[in-house]
Amino acid sequence: MNKSGLLVRLAVVIGFASIAIGFLSTQLFYKVTFNQEVAFTQQSIGSLYKTIAATAGTAAYLAEKDLAQEVVDGLATNEVVLNAKMNFENIEVVNNEGTFNDPITFSIQSLFEADKSIGTLVIAPNIKYIKEKARQIARDNAKAMIMQACVVTLVAISVAFLLITKPMVNIARALHITVPGEGNRLSVPDFHQNSELGQVVRDVNILLDKTEEQFTRERKLRQEIEGLEKRFRMLFENSLSPIILIEPRGDILLFNVAFETTLEKLGLQLKKSYGPLLENLFAAPEQLVSAVEMAFANDEIATGEYKLQTSKDSMSVWVQVVVTSIINEDLREYYQITLHDISKRKRELESLAYQADYDKLTKLYNRRGLEKNIELFIKQERQFCLVLIDLNWFKRINDVYGHESGDEILVFVADRIKKTLRPQDFGGRWGGDEFVLLLDDADEATSRELITRLVQRISKPYFLSKFRQNAKVGASIGAAFYPDDGRKLQAIINLADKAMYDVKELKRTAPEISIKFAHELDVEDIIYG
Amino acid sequence: MQQLSSLKVLLLIGGLTFASFAMSSDLVLVVHLNNPTSTLSRSQVIDLYMGKFVAFPDGSKATPVDIENDLETRAEFYESLVGMPLARVNAYWSKVKFSGRARPPIQKKNEQAILDFIMETENAIAYIHKDKVTSDVKVVYRLNE
Repeated sequence: MNKSGLLVRLAVVIGFASIAIGFLSTQLFYKVTFNQEVAFTQQSIGSLYKTIAATAGTAAYLAEKDLAQEVVDGLATNEVVLNAKMNFENIEVVNNEGTFNDPITFSIQSLFEADKSIGTLVIAPNIKYIKEKARQIARDNAKAMIMQACVVTLVAISVAFLLITKPMVNIARALHITVPGEGNRLSVPDFHQNSELGQVVRDVNILLDKTEEQFTRERKLRQEIEGLEKRFRMLFENSLSPIILIEPRGDILLFNVAFETTLEKLGLQLKKSYGPLLENLFAAPEQLVSAVEMAFANDEIATGEYKLQTSKDSMSVWVQVVVTSIINEDLREYYQITLHDISKRKRELESLAYQADYDKLTKLYNRRGLEKNIELFIKQERQFCLVLIDLNWFKRINDVYGHESGDEILVFVADRIKKTLRPQDFGGRWGGDEFVLLLDDADEATSRELITRLVQRISKPYFLSKFRQNAKVGASIGAAFYPDDGRKLQAIINLADKAMYDVKELKRTAPEISIKFAHELDVEDIIYG
Repeated sequence: MQQLSSLKVLLLIGGLTFASFAMSSDLVLVVHLNNPTSTLSRSQVIDLYMGKFVAFPDGSKATPVDIENDLETRAEFYESLVGMPLARVNAYWSKVKFSGRARPPIQKKNEQAILDFIMETENAIAYIHKDKVTSDVKVVYRLNE
């Protein structure tokens, strides 16, 4: 049982109160009883005297000692009398030698003459006996009181238990297991329809109603918020573009799946921070940082296209970065960074640029690419040898075996060129069956040696698998030096062209000559050719 | 009913008055002519008849006499002297007799016998009606005084 439970407390209080009241009333009762007993004793001594008054009167009248002795002895046999004595005519008759405490004195009246005192009778009451008797009565009374206190306590506890504690404990227990929102209500205990307890239960039920109502409202609200949050998360998580929320210092607060995917693509581990503005992810972070600083200084959203840091092997990744500064209610600043992958577009653009400068078939520069790169050399005044190659008998192959075979031959030639050129050199298709090479910083000997080797390679028979036939092309080659032969591209090209034509002119008569340098041309040729 | 009880009370008071009036009897105490006592007090008479001091004032022993046959006179005497009915007087003597210290008065048949006894006994004393007093006896106390 609970030590500070209501019933126990009540029992203790009622018990103590009963004992205290019992004790006090016993004390009081003892005093009252004692006084009553004293009074009663005096009264009974008075009656005693009355019964022996005649005898005492006779004894005193006749001064009869024996009779008087009989009177006092007779009185002393009574338990309320401790001692008794008679005085008359100078005679004293006493029962015993004991002292006379609280004596009661009676005047002995003459039997025959009215209002004539003829002696005294003194009676000592038995105070000890009276006290003992009073105590006995008080004890009995105390017993009765204790019994009564017990009964009262029991009744009070029972009533309190049945009427107050039990219903309250039941209410408390029911309340303890009641969970707001489950619709449970407390029931009003029996006999408490109109009591305070009943009122408490009703009030609690009203409170439960209100709480439940609030619960329902809040639950609904929460569901709405959850739905909204779900949609937001869907938006956030399903975004193809990485979205990251960071602190200005660079600590990442929030990121979506797309960001993780991007990190994976970059071969990076997920980290808490990649530096301010995720700068560690970028190939050239200083550009991004300065751009963002500039934009923020003008209260603008920072956008720009930047390349991400990638390992050598993988493809380059380009992103459009959007950095937004967000200041929340408690005046803290956050950056929202969105990365849009624009690698594909970048590659397309690159490929467009490539297509513009390269020949699709041979994967060598086209005329535009060649011109661009040669102009670059001229601009930098770097010495080079320009070689112009025109294939022999190509037209015949084209006519006999068709364009496809012609293309095949062109690819074969381009391949030979690529194999022959040094790393610092480059070459391209000038158009049709014409090729141009740039030999970086090459003198005549080197050039001649390289071109001879190339001619040998080109001149090897080529097996056309479709026709199961060997085809053979040759090359007529003209070359000119920059800056020795000319300082303008067109001039050099023209010189090389002339030299090449010279070779072509002579191919029937002198097929062994396949190369001619511009400075070997006749002056006439230069002027009129 | 109330009137009736008031009437009863009146009758009762009247009766009492009559009784007390009757108590003032015309009895007298007489002795032998040779007795030196000329008069006695009421206390002396009581002591003589109730056995406390059965002697005359000069110390000579006295012999009190009661009337035997005339109970009415005897009752009148004790009623007037000590205010007790005869029954109580008898009870008193029955109590005292055993102690042996006192004895009740001797008894003579009638007033004539009493007068005769007084005349021949010098230390006797007795009560008789006033009108029976002769010159052969001496009156020492009158109860109606």
